Amino acid sequence: MDIGPFEADNSVSCRLASQIPDVCRVEDCCLGIDEAGRGPVLGPMVYGICFCPLSKTNALKELKVADSKTLSEVERENLFQKLDEAKGYVGWALQILSPNTISTSMLQRTKYNLNALSHDTAIGLVQYALDSGVQLKEIFVDTVGPAEKYEQKLSQRFPGINVTVRPKADSLFPVVSAASICAKVCRDRIVKGWNFSEDLGEVDTDYGSGYPNDPKTKAWLLKYLDPVFGYSQFVRFSWSTAQTLMDSKAVAVHWDDDEEDGEKAAHRQNNKSMLSYFSASAGGNDENPAHQTHRFFTERRLRSLKTL
Amino acid sequence: MSCNTSVTHVRVSSVSQAQGVPVHLMPCEIEHNGPAEVSQYFTATTKDHKHEKTVSFRGRGLKGQEIRCPEGYTGLVLKEISKPGSDQEDRTVKVSSVFDKLTYWNLETPPNSDDTVVLAMDWPKMAEAIHGPVED
Repeated sequence: MDIGPFEADNSVSCRLASQIPDVCRVEDCCLGIDEAGRGPVLGPMVYGICFCPLSKTNALKELKVADSKTLSEVERENLFQKLDEAKGYVGWALQILSPNTISTSMLQRTKYNLNALSHDTAIGLVQYALDSGVQLKEIFVDTVGPAEKYEQKLSQRFPGINVTVRPKADSLFPVVSAASICAKVCRDRIVKGWNFSEDLGEVDTDYGSGYPNDPKTKAWLLKYLDPVFGYSQFVRFSWSTAQTLMDSKAVAVHWDDDEEDGEKAAHRQNNKSMLSYFSASAGGNDENPAHQTHRFFTERRLRSLKTL
Repeated sequence: MSCNTSVTHVRVSSVSQAQGVPVHLMPCEIEHNGPAEVSQYFTATTKDHKHEKTVSFRGRGLKGQEIRCPEGYTGLVLKEISKPGSDQEDRTVKVSSVFDKLTYWNLETPPNSDDTVVLAMDWPKMAEAIHGPVED
């Protein structure tokens, strides 16, 4: 696995893939989908697919792939090595969603939530396998959300393929375990060697697991908080952990699509507060209607400056 | 809005010492007046391809482009030398830096010719047409 293409630009999403085994283009195949790094506030989320001919599922089982979460990092690396050695019949592909992709998607004007992003990423990977000529007959998916709806969505999207979505599928189906190992190994390597594109000098890489409840992660987030910019692109800004810290330790930033209300926000946005209509000067006589600014200026947000 | 009689003076002589600086016009309000690690965080992560720049700020995607000051004009960054004690006092500002172009940023929308700041640059020409001397 060469994570170089992602490291060349770790602000965007990136696909890594193995060679497609020839046998997968001629024999009926099964495919597993799993993800790594959904919860952490740091680093990318990696989606993985792994596929092999149905006739080889037993061979895959004998590699003793298991749910990546029950394995140590070394065990996962070893198992990935074994999968690599089985490349004659096992193929994989990964979609790396950079933390910046996650932040900017989730914080988009028209919000793109993590579930939708996950589903679209999984669909994209399956489509990639199909486009590469893999003869898909069965898909197994691990999920954290409601399985039924997701299963329906995938079945409709890929007619003629048998889709099984299950919680904990990574411990039930070897091909899903294999996908989870690929995804986890990839995320581990990326997080370990994160290349900060910000000019931060020597960065302390003792950021722990990246999970919000890890004390090391918390300490790191406190240490690397900038009052104006918040964080580097290694951090998921859309995570409440990051937002809470910025709310209390960084300067406030307001956007035109913020959903804030209350007296202060109204004042800031130059809106009239509801209360002002009840005050003595109701009707707003303070502005001379004869001096209404022409729309040439309002459209350009130009106004004459009377005071600094 | 209160109209007062105080006058604001610009110390023009400071222009010659002022340095040219990169200027960014952000699509948000940052409650901060003062130095910021712009080059470390912002410039270092800005991507530039085909006249469109991209960057993110506080996890939000921005798209921007460079725009030049109208011909014959110079952008000034002003700094008050000492804060006045009351709003009746005259104020003096100096030119702390100058710019002849700036980068303006839109939240997610690609920059286009209808953007407010692009349109605003029409004003000097328009002002010239309206207020300039009439030639026979």
